[in-house]
Amino acid sequence: MELQEKLKILADSAKYDASCSSSGSVRKNQDGIGNTAVSGICHSFASDGRCISLLKILFTNCCIFDCKYCLNRRSNHIKRAMFTPEEVCHITLNFYRRNYIEGLFLSSGIVKSPDYTMELLIQTISLLRHKYHFNGYIHAKAIPGASQKLVKELGHYVDRLSANIELPTENGLKLLAPNKKSENVANIMNYVDKNRSKKYVPAGQSTQMIIGATKESDLEIMNKSASLYRSFHLKRVFYSAYVPVNKDSHLPSISCPPLKRENRLYQADWLLRFYHFQVKDLLDQNNPNFNTLLDPKTDWALRHLDEFPKEINTCTYYDLLKIPGIGVKSAKRIITSRKHFTIHFEDLKKMGVVLKRAKYFTNSEWFQKNWIENNLVWECREEKSKNVTEQLRLF
Amino acid sequence: MDRIFIYEGDYISLLNTIFYLLKNNLKAENIKTENYVPSFFENKIQLFIPKNENIMEQMLKSFGMFVIRAMYYVFLSSEENKELLLYYFTYYALQYRKNILYQRNLKCVREVLRISNYVNHENHKMKGFLRFRELKNHLLYAKMAPTNNILFLLSCHFSKRLKNEFWIIKDVKRKIISIYDKKKFVILSEDEFFINLEKESDNEKEMENLWRTFYQTIGIQERKNDRCRRNFMPKKYWKYITEMSEEL
Repeated sequence: MELQEKLKILADSAKYDASCSSSGSVRKNQDGIGNTAVSGICHSFASDGRCISLLKILFTNCCIFDCKYCLNRRSNHIKRAMFTPEEVCHITLNFYRRNYIEGLFLSSGIVKSPDYTMELLIQTISLLRHKYHFNGYIHAKAIPGASQKLVKELGHYVDRLSANIELPTENGLKLLAPNKKSENVANIMNYVDKNRSKKYVPAGQSTQMIIGATKESDLEIMNKSASLYRSFHLKRVFYSAYVPVNKDSHLPSISCPPLKRENRLYQADWLLRFYHFQVKDLLDQNNPNFNTLLDPKTDWALRHLDEFPKEINTCTYYDLLKIPGIGVKSAKRIITSRKHFTIHFEDLKKMGVVLKRAKYFTNSEWFQKNWIENNLVWECREEKSKNVTEQLRLF
Repeated sequence: MDRIFIYEGDYISLLNTIFYLLKNNLKAENIKTENYVPSFFENKIQLFIPKNENIMEQMLKSFGMFVIRAMYYVFLSSEENKELLLYYFTYYALQYRKNILYQRNLKCVREVLRISNYVNHENHKMKGFLRFRELKNHLLYAKMAPTNNILFLLSCHFSKRLKNEFWIIKDVKRKIISIYDKKKFVILSEDEFFINLEKESDNEKEMENLWRTFYQTIGIQERKNDRCRRNFMPKKYWKYITEMSEEL
């Protein structure tokens, strides 16, 4: 098989993995090729608008597992291919020299056994690091069920190691991925978290969940993420809207992936990590799913109107973060600026605050309890229809 | 008559001019390089200021690192009246010293921060969007046409990343090139240097095709979103991006 065809098959199988980040690692160029940038660098953007920073490929798409949502499940009749370690190195190095990519993202279907697959990954990556002195970013997938010794070895070569939990609950996993066990993933995460250092998985670990393939509510998903952040100190949890690739009676029949829901989950994820929110603030048993019309923070603010309006010049950093339309950056700007001068309502726009939302919660003139919600929803809708007309005009 | 002061075109000479003007209470209507063509009501004035090489050190002491970097980035921008903006900014900086960057209610501070951010941002984007082609003799060659003059910043990045390669980056808009010889890079104007840059190496076409295949495969059809892609990767860069040049 030609290299081009192989690359096509194995990139196609890898594209459903959402992770693309290349940040968080400072690897210097020690007389070889490449280094890593702490901020991460996006090299291109695919037709779906997601960034391409790493050469995202599977080592092989042959798999002994039969996960119902997966394109590469054993019972699917698709073309199978397998790289050799040298081929992966050849492509990676040549792409890297031409500045196409920031590094390598290597995952794999499971051939023979988890241990055997893991050994193949280790062989490839150690070749890249030792023989070719490649110092760029490498993100590898740990194969659940592989022995701890191999996880230990792989972690020394890569910048980020991750294992996907795939579905937020144990039941979902049993239903759709009968060969996978959540405790295997938890074991890997636990081991990596305990041993993480500047030399071992410097950029930390991440994981991914499929959204909308099973019937979990947003509350269950957020609780799962929060517990992952708490117990394993993950850098990121990625949410991947379910794309129907297979037909199965256990899978929902939808025509387009639930992108809006995915967007709301990411927004809430950011609120957990950077805005000091708790899951119980955002969702509870009575409304277990996010509002599709408003973002989670605005939604929260509308349910807690008695805390508003807030006084920009005196309230704490944490209070600033709770105001819709103010983010981490603008909150920090406000804190540093207000030491030097009094901030007026007109100055807020210059600080990078989104006044469209913030005006209702900071200025007593705009703060009219009865119509804030209607106004916000209305503005949101208007914006959407504007987008639609703009798009129509193109054709 | 509006007074237009002339500086030599480099950063140090601009700083020298600005400090000279401020020290002697000369009000500038604008500061420009020599090839500026004045209008009827303008008067070009050439100052002969002794070069003060220590100016950077003095500024570092009184303003601090961040202020100097922000000013340098503004100098690299393609903003039309950047020199005048820096003149006003320095005027206030002498007043507020290290706290100048927090004075966001001053327009010139806001502008300096906005423009320096823009330059920094473009530099960061270009670190990703630059595409090298391999020529015969394993030389790497890239063309770009960025809005701001980021060739120096970009060369710093690549001299670390591709330490053991020979590479050339060309800014097509400004007609300058940066040449790296495995030790350090130099920036030259295009006329000073000639090399045949069109002969590609044998596996260049093959690699480009592999990359295009990868690019076309990695996007998920069901999630297609052109608007989002253009937001992140504006069309002005497409011409020199290998995988995008065909879509133009």
